[in-house]
Amino acid sequence: MKICNKIKVEDCFDGSSVFEYFFNSAWSKNEIYSLECMGHLEYFPEFPRPFFRVIQKGGLQIKGVEGDTKCRVILPKKNREKTEILLENTFSNI
Amino acid sequence: MNIYLNNAATGWPRAHNVIKAVSYMLEHQPSNSGRVSAESDTIIGECRKLVARLLDVSDPSRIILTVNATHALNLAIHGLNLGNNDHIITTVLEHNSVLRPVNHLREKYPGLRISVINLDNNGQLDYEKFSQALSAEPTVVIINHASNVTGHIYDVAGLFSDAKKAGAITVLDATQTTGAIPVSPMRLNADLVAFTGHKALHGPPGTGGLYVSPELELKQVYVGGTGIRSDMALHPPEMPLRLEAGTPNSPAIAGLHAALQWHEKKGNEYSKLTGKYIQRLYEELSEIRGVSIFDKNSDVDRVGVISFKIEGWSVEETGYILAESFGIICRTGLHCAPLIHKAIGSAPEGTVRFSVSGFNTDEDIMCAIKAIRKLSS
Repeated sequence: MKICNKIKVEDCFDGSSVFEYFFNSAWSKNEIYSLECMGHLEYFPEFPRPFFRVIQKGGLQIKGVEGDTKCRVILPKKNREKTEILLENTFSNI
Repeated sequence: MNIYLNNAATGWPRAHNVIKAVSYMLEHQPSNSGRVSAESDTIIGECRKLVARLLDVSDPSRIILTVNATHALNLAIHGLNLGNNDHIITTVLEHNSVLRPVNHLREKYPGLRISVINLDNNGQLDYEKFSQALSAEPTVVIINHASNVTGHIYDVAGLFSDAKKAGAITVLDATQTTGAIPVSPMRLNADLVAFTGHKALHGPPGTGGLYVSPELELKQVYVGGTGIRSDMALHPPEMPLRLEAGTPNSPAIAGLHAALQWHEKKGNEYSKLTGKYIQRLYEELSEIRGVSIFDKNSDVDRVGVISFKIEGWSVEETGYILAESFGIICRTGLHCAPLIHKAIGSAPEGTVRFSVSGFNTDEDIMCAIKAIRKLSS
């Protein structure tokens, strides 16, 4: 999946580590499962649009919805740059 | 089409004819050259009259039209000429549109005392603490009429009566209540009342206002062009221009005028529907295992707001899933009211908030309840 855009998400708290990634194609079930390498994956097919989240022990979180061309990422404070590079490489290789 | 449950942030859809009124003002050539001279004939003057009628105020010149409630509250708080020897009493209910101007004043005047009244176990303002604060020479008492987090409507008339007996000026933040329930400065003993046009009135964003009691003369925070009496070196002192400087946003004011006209005809009907929907949400969500409602007290009156969280999901995640997976637009987090969360037990992450309006439908409410059931199963 090619990353087309990446924007910082502002909310009530310090949003400096929350990003929305936009891709050139939508998340399918297979692509969602390929995120298992990044942490503990949970997939909720019973929701009207199936939701997924990946939680890594180091603090990285990825969440999104099947069929959508975006996902939300919370980057950890520790090893942030390294995690960001690894994450973006993973996205590119899906 | 998504289900819209974020009316405490901004009322949607806009009331009948609002869009048409805004477009009309933008499309048609401006006709009047002055402002106050033609006040009675212009949409601005008519809008001021309708606001005065809504607030049960006899003199429309006491209504200042602003760009939002934050602007109105800044005009009020900074217009009171407060300083090092003053004492502000306010509450944990307040929105940042009150807290931040007050905190900025204290930055400027370190001697300024601020008492923040907490909630008691029933979600009411702690009257004992309030009485104690009143005994310490209060200058101003600022209270939120209804919490934008819990929807709880507070009985401010009695509190303001006590405040006035103690010599304080009373300021009401009626952002969540104007258009939702009757708001009368006289009956509520409020000297200053801030309101917005884009929530329960379903007018355009960028509209609002401030009622100023005839007993008060606020300091002019903004001065400048008025379109009349341009030979004067200083800004005209008469109300309402005293507190209105610069070109008004007439398209938005025309939209607010249309919203007020709609509200006079349909406001009661839509408020009743809002009440029905919020009661249904309280009843149904209370029954769902794993759902915690904040400020659950069923004996209080509320505007169309309910705050909750679901076990196993963060507040932020709940909002994300509701929007992206279920197509339900709501609000999560602190809702710009950072102090109330400790009092109601929702700190530090805040709440998931559903806020309904009479424009919602029974089906919207059922879909929201079903979504919460699904998330908590």
